[in-house]
Amino acid sequence: MRVSWNWLSEYVDLSGVTPQELADKLTQAGIAVDAVTPRSPGVRGVVVGLVVRCEQHPNADRLHVCEVDVGADEHLTIVCGAPNVRTGMRAPTALVGAVLPGGRIGRAKLRGVESQGMLCSAEELGLESRWLPKEQTEGLYVLPDEAEVGADVVPLLGLDDWVLELDLTPNRADCLSMRGLAYEVSAILGRPVRMPGASPKRTADAPGLTVELATPRCPRYEAQVLTDLTTGPSPLWMQMRLLASGIRPINRIVDVTNYVMLEWGQPLHAFDADEVRQGRIIVRQAQPGERIRTLDGADRELTEDTIVISDPERAIGIAGVMGGENSEVRPSTRRVVLESAVFDAASVRRTGQRLGLRSEAQQRFEKGVDPVAVRAALDRATALLQEICSAVAVGEPVVVLQAAPAYQWQVDFSPARCNAWLGTDLTLQEMRDIMVRLGFEPEATDQPTWKVTIPSRRQDVRLEEDLYEEVARLAGYDRIPSSLPRTVTTAATRTPAQRLRQWTREILLGAGMTEVLTYTLASPTDLAPLRLPDDSPYRQMIPLLRPMSEERTALRTHMLPGLARVAQYNLAHGVIGGAIFELGRVYWPKELPLTEQPCERQQWAALWFGSTERVVGQRARLYDFYDAKGVVEVWLEALGVAEAVSFRRSGASWLHPGRSADVLVGDVRIGCVGELHPDTAAGWALGRAQYAEFDLDLLLPLLPDTLHVRPLPRHPAVRRDLAVLVDLATPAEALVQAAREAVSEDVLESIHVFDVYTGEGIPTGKKSIALAFTWRAHDRTLTDDEVRVEEERVVHRWKERWGAALRDG
Amino acid sequence: MRADEIRTELEAWAEVAVRRLGETSDAKSLEAWRVEHLGKRSGLSQFMRQLSALPADERPLVGAWVNRWRDELQARYEARRAELAAAERQVQLERETIDITLPGRPYRRGAMHPLSKVIAEIEEVFLGMGFEIAEGPEVETEHYNFEMLNIPKDHPARDMQDTFYITEDLLLRTHTSPMQVRTMERMRPRTPVKVIVPGRVYRRDEDDATHSHAFTQMEGLVVDEGIRMSDLKGTLEAFAKAVFGPNQRVRLRPSFFPFTEPSAEVDLVCIHCGGNGCRVCKETGWIEILGAGMVHPRVLDGAGYDSRRYSGFAFGLGVERIAMLKYGIDDIRQLYLNDLRLLRQFARVQ
Repeated sequence: MRVSWNWLSEYVDLSGVTPQELADKLTQAGIAVDAVTPRSPGVRGVVVGLVVRCEQHPNADRLHVCEVDVGADEHLTIVCGAPNVRTGMRAPTALVGAVLPGGRIGRAKLRGVESQGMLCSAEELGLESRWLPKEQTEGLYVLPDEAEVGADVVPLLGLDDWVLELDLTPNRADCLSMRGLAYEVSAILGRPVRMPGASPKRTADAPGLTVELATPRCPRYEAQVLTDLTTGPSPLWMQMRLLASGIRPINRIVDVTNYVMLEWGQPLHAFDADEVRQGRIIVRQAQPGERIRTLDGADRELTEDTIVISDPERAIGIAGVMGGENSEVRPSTRRVVLESAVFDAASVRRTGQRLGLRSEAQQRFEKGVDPVAVRAALDRATALLQEICSAVAVGEPVVVLQAAPAYQWQVDFSPARCNAWLGTDLTLQEMRDIMVRLGFEPEATDQPTWKVTIPSRRQDVRLEEDLYEEVARLAGYDRIPSSLPRTVTTAATRTPAQRLRQWTREILLGAGMTEVLTYTLASPTDLAPLRLPDDSPYRQMIPLLRPMSEERTALRTHMLPGLARVAQYNLAHGVIGGAIFELGRVYWPKELPLTEQPCERQQWAALWFGSTERVVGQRARLYDFYDAKGVVEVWLEALGVAEAVSFRRSGASWLHPGRSADVLVGDVRIGCVGELHPDTAAGWALGRAQYAEFDLDLLLPLLPDTLHVRPLPRHPAVRRDLAVLVDLATPAEALVQAAREAVSEDVLESIHVFDVYTGEGIPTGKKSIALAFTWRAHDRTLTDDEVRVEEERVVHRWKERWGAALRDG
Repeated sequence: MRADEIRTELEAWAEVAVRRLGETSDAKSLEAWRVEHLGKRSGLSQFMRQLSALPADERPLVGAWVNRWRDELQARYEARRAELAAAERQVQLERETIDITLPGRPYRRGAMHPLSKVIAEIEEVFLGMGFEIAEGPEVETEHYNFEMLNIPKDHPARDMQDTFYITEDLLLRTHTSPMQVRTMERMRPRTPVKVIVPGRVYRRDEDDATHSHAFTQMEGLVVDEGIRMSDLKGTLEAFAKAVFGPNQRVRLRPSFFPFTEPSAEVDLVCIHCGGNGCRVCKETGWIEILGAGMVHPRVLDGAGYDSRRYSGFAFGLGVERIAMLKYGIDDIRQLYLNDLRLLRQFARVQ
């Protein structure tokens, strides 16, 4: 809402306060002022000029040489290039030495003719030209014929004004009016409000209008019939106030309705009375499929939810949103029906949203209007139409009421509880003063609970706690001290799921991985590189009803596309490679379309892309499967589940079938790790890349209890290595497993693969695997013979199963 | 031979021995010298053997001379050996000298995402004050996201949060505030309720330097008997000091949220200029950091805490905003761009 300082000062004394000071006070009281801007600062030396003669410039087709009367003894010669300059017009005339927003005006020679000033356009004066009609912006700003020649335009056009731009919160609809804001300023400054009264004269005739309310969504409708109106533009002062408020001046009838809406916050609408057929107004719900052309020229289809104003034959307006073109006030209009009504806020809001409209009227109706203003605004507008359009008010307004309006109500207020709620120690006197300043009426103030009467302009004050806020904001929030809750002490810890996430992050960071966070809104097309079957559950992405862009239409079901894009971006920006991970959610619906909240699974996923760093002693190389698996193993080991883990070939469609593994804890598959399938990687131009993904919700119940240490061994261990020749396809883990099975006693403390070799000295199709064994018995020192017997068992088993031969050496 | 002849000879021999010891240059020549001069068949032993030829009364005297020289030579030998060893060690050290300006072997520490870092830091502060951490669904119901928070259908307050709907009743939560109600419903009738809720929220905003369709909020809620708005201020002040330094102060400004009454915007002393006024704080010395207020009685009553008996405060802060202020990031999109050249800077602990 834009507020003219000069206009506001008519209703409350602003002397001794600067616009910026008032803005600060308003902001501190909760009416945020975004900006304070001078309307057109510093304009000087511009007067009303009358063009008494206008001739073609001798040396320029597009210029005119004008003789302009500015109320001085001699006429001025002014060269003007505006297309609309003509003899007899009045235009703002900048004298030599005048100051305009664009600079100072000097004497100038234009194509050989000296110009003693300048005739000005709206823009040159700093007027809000975007809200002016075209004929006032293309060329000179045309002043009305009543403008006194030689008069200073600064007061005439209200240029010495300030505009406060309010950023109102939805609860303070009262401040969508000069009146409401005046009361707010009055409360802040402690100065009285002086609203103009209006007591229009009305004839004793019958208005010749009936109103029927055929819907419960219009609790109150008042209409004044006026006749004998003159048309034409409204007076300059009114146009300027509308402009300062950001409203387009249209004609004197419409301008009056807008002016009074700004003043009282009550939207009004003027119908051409001759277009209200049979003199009957019916407020009703629209018929399904009913159409109306609105004032903006658009054809609109209505629904049964829409309230319309109609006559017996057709709709003539969409209630609270926009009037109909068929009943629009035109230059020929002589009689109007002026409407001041209350419409159901939610319905008006829905209608506006459905039609994509957000009119000034709608914005006020949807937040609730003040019942006091319904008649007051009607009276005020009637009086103004009489003043400006010489209108005659025909009879009393037609009033139809479906419910008695609440002009005030009482709210209980306990000062003690107010202080307890706020943590303040405001005195009773202070609290009472604040209420009085707000125009509230506190009674029984000698009692523990006061009865406070709230005027209907403050629709937002209904509960006791609403009054606490009024007290707090006018006392100033800086009166609220700092304290800490006086509650019992609580001990707080993270939940197991939160800890698992925190540990996972720490472990992965410790492994040198960089954490990323990607958007969870994605597109089903992101899944294309994953090579998913058509019936894959990953394709069940939960779609948004109205997405904002094609890239973000649905919730992700898979972590890979987000990470792949990060990799793609970084490679494209000169990063040679990296190891990244994300902890996040995927969203799996139970069914689509969604009928209940989906599963939001906590996962982590990682991507190793590009190549490793080039460092002394180590060439850059592409990340490989074992880089990824190594990190996964570190993670599993740190979480204490490593011993229960097995790796099996994975069938994940996005992974290389020969270089990927599902990871199982016991028999639960918690995730997978592997090289991206070449086709998948190609989808993001990644080259070789390694990927891992795990479901933390699945892992959580499988985590072991706290670590219990193994006692230190009391007997020495025997360490022996074995190198064995097997077929290339034999998995190393199978050898380890077979060894464990083959030993007779619990004497094999550990076994691990430490080398794999193919090449010189190894037959084609074979590989040599070297394993380190640690033999130890818990109750004695093993003898060489004992170890040899166990070793032979292992070797025998290997030979039996794979025909494995020990490698010499 | 007479004793004095032996002595003369002995001393001449010893003089030569000392000279030759000085000529040794390494462990090998030193060992050769030792065998020759101090070994079983050394010159010294021969002098000893000559003792028997002396009269009995001269033997001890000559024996003492020989022994004194043995001790003397032994000591010189030890000294020479240490000298040679030191020289040899010196040579070794010089030979083994490396270029200490070469980089160390890289043990890369990973980098935590700045948003995770900020969340973790704030969580620490509130865990320390005894707040639980709760999380909730991102796909929320209208009921929890709006209705239970005193934002009825077709109410203009819904304009404050443009919403991604999935169905008529399901939506992407526009704030973490639904967890106020979910937490109270879970806890009731126990008190105190003290919880923070970090989480991702969504709004239909075009992504630009200051807006993001997805961002992170941290909700806070305290409900008990006797909770005051001053407790909100004090709690936020404690948080601000912990996260932004001991000189922080908190300023409340009146505002409006449907689910708090009174409501406040909360400002901190500008982190950039310390309150003097700068570009970041638009010359005001303050920066807006979060919205807060006393839990609206309708919200309390709806969630099962009688508002005549209990009161509470709630706040919701923007994690991105804090990260941006703290680390000097001026475009919110950078937090989701994941440029490793930016993220790797966060390998730093602080």
